[in-house]
Amino acid sequence: MGKFVVIGERLSATAPSVNKAFTERDPQPIIQRAKQQLDAGAYYLDVNIGPAENDGPELMKWAVQLLQSEFDNVPLALDTANKAAIEAGISVYNRSKGKPIVNSADAAGRIEYIDLAAANDAIVIALCNGEGIAKDNDERMMYCQTMLERGLEHGMDASDLWFDPLFLVIKGMQDKQMQILECIKMLSDMELNSTGGLSNNSNGMPKHIRPIMDSAMVAMCMMCGLTSAIVNPNDLRLMETIKSCDIIKDNTLYADSYLEI
Amino acid sequence: MALKGLDIFKLTPKTNCKECGSPTCMAFSMKVAQGAVDISKCPHMSEEAMATLSEATAPPMKTIKVGTGDAEYTLGGETVLARHEKTFVSKPRFAVRVTPDMDVDAALAEANKVDYDRIGERMHAEMVYVECNGDAAAFVEAVKKVTGKGKTIVLACKDADAAKAALDVCKAEKPILNGADASNYEKMVELAKEAGVVLGVSGADINELYDTAAAIEKLGYKDLVLDTTGATIKETFATTVQVRRACLAKEPDRTFGYPSIVNLSKIAPNDEAMQISLASVFVLKYGSIIVMDTMNYARGLALFGLRQNVYTDPQKPMKVEPGIYPLNGGDENSVVLTTVDFALTYFVVSGELERSGVPCNLVISDAGGLSVLTAWAAGKLSSTSVSKFIKEEVEPKVKSRKLIIPGKVAVLKGDIEAKLEGWQVIVAPNEAVQLVKFLKDLQASGEI
Amino acid sequence: MPFNGKSGKFNASINAVEVGCGEKAIKLGGENVLPFYTFDAPIENSPKVGVMISDLGLENEPAGVKAYYEGCTTMADIAKKAAAMPGADFVCLKLESADPNGQDKSVEDCMAVVKEVVDAIDVPLVIAGCKNVAKDADLLTKASEVAQGKNAIILSAKEEDYKGIGAAAGLAYNQKVGAESAVDINLAKQLNVLISQLGVAPSNIVMNVGTAAVGYGFEYVVSTMDRIKAAALSQDDKQLQMPIITPVADEAWNVKEAMASEEDMPEWGDQEARGVGMEVSTAASVLASGSNAVILKHPTSVATISKMIKELM
Repeated sequence: MGKFVVIGERLSATAPSVNKAFTERDPQPIIQRAKQQLDAGAYYLDVNIGPAENDGPELMKWAVQLLQSEFDNVPLALDTANKAAIEAGISVYNRSKGKPIVNSADAAGRIEYIDLAAANDAIVIALCNGEGIAKDNDERMMYCQTMLERGLEHGMDASDLWFDPLFLVIKGMQDKQMQILECIKMLSDMELNSTGGLSNNSNGMPKHIRPIMDSAMVAMCMMCGLTSAIVNPNDLRLMETIKSCDIIKDNTLYADSYLEI
Repeated sequence: MALKGLDIFKLTPKTNCKECGSPTCMAFSMKVAQGAVDISKCPHMSEEAMATLSEATAPPMKTIKVGTGDAEYTLGGETVLARHEKTFVSKPRFAVRVTPDMDVDAALAEANKVDYDRIGERMHAEMVYVECNGDAAAFVEAVKKVTGKGKTIVLACKDADAAKAALDVCKAEKPILNGADASNYEKMVELAKEAGVVLGVSGADINELYDTAAAIEKLGYKDLVLDTTGATIKETFATTVQVRRACLAKEPDRTFGYPSIVNLSKIAPNDEAMQISLASVFVLKYGSIIVMDTMNYARGLALFGLRQNVYTDPQKPMKVEPGIYPLNGGDENSVVLTTVDFALTYFVVSGELERSGVPCNLVISDAGGLSVLTAWAAGKLSSTSVSKFIKEEVEPKVKSRKLIIPGKVAVLKGDIEAKLEGWQVIVAPNEAVQLVKFLKDLQASGEI
Repeated sequence: MPFNGKSGKFNASINAVEVGCGEKAIKLGGENVLPFYTFDAPIENSPKVGVMISDLGLENEPAGVKAYYEGCTTMADIAKKAAAMPGADFVCLKLESADPNGQDKSVEDCMAVVKEVVDAIDVPLVIAGCKNVAKDADLLTKASEVAQGKNAIILSAKEEDYKGIGAAAGLAYNQKVGAESAVDINLAKQLNVLISQLGVAPSNIVMNVGTAAVGYGFEYVVSTMDRIKAAALSQDDKQLQMPIITPVADEAWNVKEAMASEEDMPEWGDQEARGVGMEVSTAASVLASGSNAVILKHPTSVATISKMIKELM
């Protein structure tokens, strides 16, 4: 198995400062956040430009070129509901460090994002839901099958569909957490890749609790076979946990300085 | 080899009809992969899909048995490309090459001089490779001379008539008939079937080898070994590696799922050092039968040692027999040293002791095949175990009452002295490399 | 249907490290395939063969080695002759006389030998210590300075002494640092990290990950090298992409198979042939497991292994 893939989540238009930088095409805040994440050990960076209804294609191109030229063709996840923007981003994307990730498809209204990924030899994050959240794992696996078939039909490798079980918030859905872990285990048994916005589990918890809960969650998920997550790499405790789990899983070779590299 | 859920899923109708009892074809595939449900529960699997499935569950590399009695050997059956992934299972065998124009008896006698025991394993060239040089009568004479000698015979012969005559002489010993190629394989398959022997296949290059093996499989014969020897050293290495890699790949190509024969007499004739070098490479990289000009100690000590190391099960430590090992002419008056029965420890320690030149008795007691500190921690190297062994096994045979113990278990000194009346316990240095100086100093000071 | 073999080429590669200067400089590493898998992708820099010489001279050497150096009276003579050995790509000078448990020569005396050898040869040079950690720290630091301009490999920097030797060889005097571990993959990686953290560029580091003679726990050597190459190439582990250099001669000629005289073991036959057997078998095995260079001493071994490499490339 390969190393756990950390996708840095901090370039998101939901953060006001990032949104402002995107709108004003101000490179500095973007570069600064990207650098912080890469220094902390992110491999991919998620670029969430929001819905970007007016200038999506142009904005995504700008962001892709800015980040890839600044950071040696850093691999990116292109995150927007604007399909044309994703296509535009891929058109200027350099894949020497990794295929672009299309973020994201689902088994209902967004299933065409799989076609888009297939047509562009990209990876796609496939959310295991249809209209609304799946009620149990039978339903999740049905969505998974639908999307897997769609990808295979369009000539994708199964390994390029990264399934997202959709992490649920503990405060409110505590009783559903083991289901998510079981879903990850099933995906792993099928040798499928998986990812997701893992820190959703700790939403609404006090700030000092979240890194602890996220670390526990990522360790349990990695045990079940999760292969990637979209997280904040500047959460030191979380990153240390991921690196340690990678050692325990024999994904990377141990050296005393493993936390520093 | 177990099939993965995804492989099974690709073969299902993907209709989610639920007739199998699972909500989706995906869930069904997962259960089949885990062995929880039988594939036949799906009423809609096509025949083609079923055939693909049964093919996919067969082992990727065949296990082939050759020879009879004490000279019966198992080849192939490997499942990994590197020993650390799991373990290698069938060690390569060495064959001595003879030709009809040689003094075959003398050649065999020469090779048979190498026959010794190393950590419980008999070391000798197990096979003889008889090459036909065109003269059928001379070939049969040579085959007669190697028959009944306790070696598995490999007949290298592409001429069907000569091969038949040779098989008539030796087929009871289950030889290998290494003779099929693109031009003669039909006849050769017939001969091999009739005699019930394993057939060796060769080709002008890797593609011809592949096609010929495929054609032979089509004739229904699957007791094969593949002669991967090419025209050059480079080609031989490339073919041998690619054949093994293809059959152990994620999607195994079973046409190459057979053991190999590598003939060093052909690619490095009359060059002993080169044959040793290449034999070492092919012990590591996928030779099953390695053919050489002869066997002698210069070849054997290195190659058998290498093979024994590489073909150990990584889960099981190599152990040496407990007992008293006199070194450098040690006798009953020589000092006694003790260490554990882990083979690597034994070899390193005995090597250093030999380098010191000081006569001594190395005493090995049963420590579960663990290294010194591990054995101590596990309670397998204790003052009780050491003193018991010394009392029962050493005291009746050795007069010296000086015992040197490993530096890493210096803590045992007091307890051993308390338990062994009349013995003086000396603590050795921590590392084996320091033993030479340590012993020489003890000798110089007259202490031992 | 012809055979359809998948290429085993990797996206990552071993670092290419240049050693020596001028026309005779060599490059170790650079490949993106397993050892000798030229059918997957070309290997630009073939593995290299070095000749080991000791400042203790020739007294303890086997007859075939003595015969080769016949007439040599100084270390300069010996070094020149070693450089000219058929099949040799580089020379390794071992400063054995410094060993406190042996002759315990002073560092100054040893530096005179280094200087003599440095001036005598133009092939790439490896300078090895006496294996005593305390002495080597001083010895190899000074040697790095004396051999300035040679772009030599300093063998070696260990866990105990990497700071001084690593800084002298890798930073102050522009040599290559040989990072030595003893068949311990985690330590091999850790040393590379530590030496890199000193500021030494990865392209200035080679690894000696240790070896044993075949038959002496050699399975650990094979698995260590296999796993290092797997991590470097398939996991793109940058801290293990340094090329590997393996001193074989010391191990192979120091075991019973090579040392027992014919008088002691008459049935074993010619002692020198046994030594060569151990040396070439060990060398071929570490090369097949991923070493980018081996250090040998017997002329027959050097010629054979160098020929084997050429044949396999």
